[in-house]
Amino acid sequence: MDVLRVSRILSRVATFAILALAALAITAPFLWIFRGAFSGSDAELYKLPPTFDPANLTGDNFGQVTDQVPYFRFFANSIIVSTTVTVAQIVTCATAAYAFARLRFRGKGVLFAVVIGSLMIPIQVTIVPLFLVMSKLGLTNTLWSLILPGIFSGFGIFLLRQHFMALPYELEEAAKLDGAGHFRTFARVILPLSGPSIATLGILCFTYWWNDLLLPLVMISDTERQTLPVGLVLLAGRFSTGSLGTIAAGIAMAIVPVLIVFLAAQRYIVQSIASSGLKL
Amino acid sequence: MTALMTERQAPPAPGRGASPRKSRKDGFAALAFLSPSIVTFLVFVLAPTAGVLYLSFYDWNLLSDGTFVGLDNFERLFTDERLLRVYGSTVYMALAILAVNVVLGLLLAVLLETRMPRWLRGVFRLSFLFPFVVSAAAVALIWRFLLNKDLGLVNYLLGTLGVDRIDWLGSSAWAPISIIIVNSWKTIGFSILVYIAGLQAIPHQLKEAAIVDGANAWTRFWRITFPLLSPTIFFLVVINTINSFQIFAEPRVLTSGGPGDASRTIVQYLYDRAFGDFDLGYASAIGITFMLVLIVLTAIQFRFSRRWTFYE
Repeated sequence: MDVLRVSRILSRVATFAILALAALAITAPFLWIFRGAFSGSDAELYKLPPTFDPANLTGDNFGQVTDQVPYFRFFANSIIVSTTVTVAQIVTCATAAYAFARLRFRGKGVLFAVVIGSLMIPIQVTIVPLFLVMSKLGLTNTLWSLILPGIFSGFGIFLLRQHFMALPYELEEAAKLDGAGHFRTFARVILPLSGPSIATLGILCFTYWWNDLLLPLVMISDTERQTLPVGLVLLAGRFSTGSLGTIAAGIAMAIVPVLIVFLAAQRYIVQSIASSGLKL
Repeated sequence: MTALMTERQAPPAPGRGASPRKSRKDGFAALAFLSPSIVTFLVFVLAPTAGVLYLSFYDWNLLSDGTFVGLDNFERLFTDERLLRVYGSTVYMALAILAVNVVLGLLLAVLLETRMPRWLRGVFRLSFLFPFVVSAAAVALIWRFLLNKDLGLVNYLLGTLGVDRIDWLGSSAWAPISIIIVNSWKTIGFSILVYIAGLQAIPHQLKEAAIVDGANAWTRFWRITFPLLSPTIFFLVVINTINSFQIFAEPRVLTSGGPGDASRTIVQYLYDRAFGDFDLGYASAIGITFMLVLIVLTAIQFRFSRRWTFYE
């Protein structure tokens, strides 16, 4: 009996040790970056073992970032692109998902197969012709070239369709009896019930486009129209001359906004993934 | 006449008789609801995909007029020794990242199921997911410092354990391993999250019944958790395969694909050919074949999944 208890305690200790170690390994690099962002001495940052001297604390690095690259320009561009794509993607995905989940029409099966098939076309592969389409439309080197390609999302349609299909029909029947058409049923019944799944799609979409490096590298040639990830690469390109603290500050300034969005919506993600019943 | 009468008298139930009219009515609504997706799909997905196919038959450098070269670009694929090497390093890194995500992710998610205070679970969950929302460019920059051979924290910590300094980013043996570590570190949170959702969907009664029957944790995992979790595992295998084969930012920022091609990925190679050399026809041929590889891989996974996934 005692042996059993000892082994139970041991396994609990091991469990927490593994979890704590993993959490530390995953978060430590960020702690290091945030410390670096507020450090006024590069010598201190390179010192091993790491030391901490409060006398070296400073906010100057953030000023350095905005001096070296047009940070607020990049920031505004990133906000415009990510927010517009997110809103547009939610609208197109939700309406399409409603059609697939609730309407009866010819060719539905084929169209849905196309949606699933589109998941297998990586944007990296189509990037060259996508660039040509954009330059034909005269949109290269504008923010539109970063917004338009992100609006259609096979993943988003698939995710929302699964959720809409799980909603009970009764509420819609009541709306139909009251004479509501498809659009009103969609806007007044389906959408209000789909907060968690829409929030999930929103957060995944926002973080993806906030972080995308490939599309701005290809589409945008004008520094003024770049987004934050490219800005970071530019900033680090001056690694040899610039200070470590400045780069750390730049990284911290790119992380914080997306972290806020994430913290605001993270509880919805588990909830909606749990309720979608990931059955393929 | 009688036929008409009976039809009119038939109850308006959603039977076969009612469906043509109803489906046409829904047809207009469906078109309206689908049109934003159809338009964006045609212009920004289908047209570029057709474009890749078209370009792959041409020799074109963006400035001059393209010349039709038939299957030349595809023939080049077979004689390009670099491409073969890049495929090799891509497959190596992708499979390792897939394994870390699926296996280590499952281990951590199962451990998170242990009884603990709510706040602690929340802290663990958040810290695991945190890197997932940070841009791959930022992640790669952070790790470029940490993995620095002489001044990096990682080598210092290993040094205190008596391990010699490792040339993480500069040696062809370690550079791909660095990419594997950094990408897994970034993506594992998402896998854990999906596992958590899958674990939550497993009915408690089943586990309790097994405990009553005296099954130990090991048996419970393999007999109950694993089979019921198999659709989730399958989902993660598919998604992680597609994602890990398409890595771009980490090798670009961390190692520039080097040394040599040791940590170069297909997408990076495609990008170099297209926007470095402006060899757009050849880049398109790489893209088309890479897409086919992904489709075949996914199809194989779906086919084999029937053997080991279990649906209620």
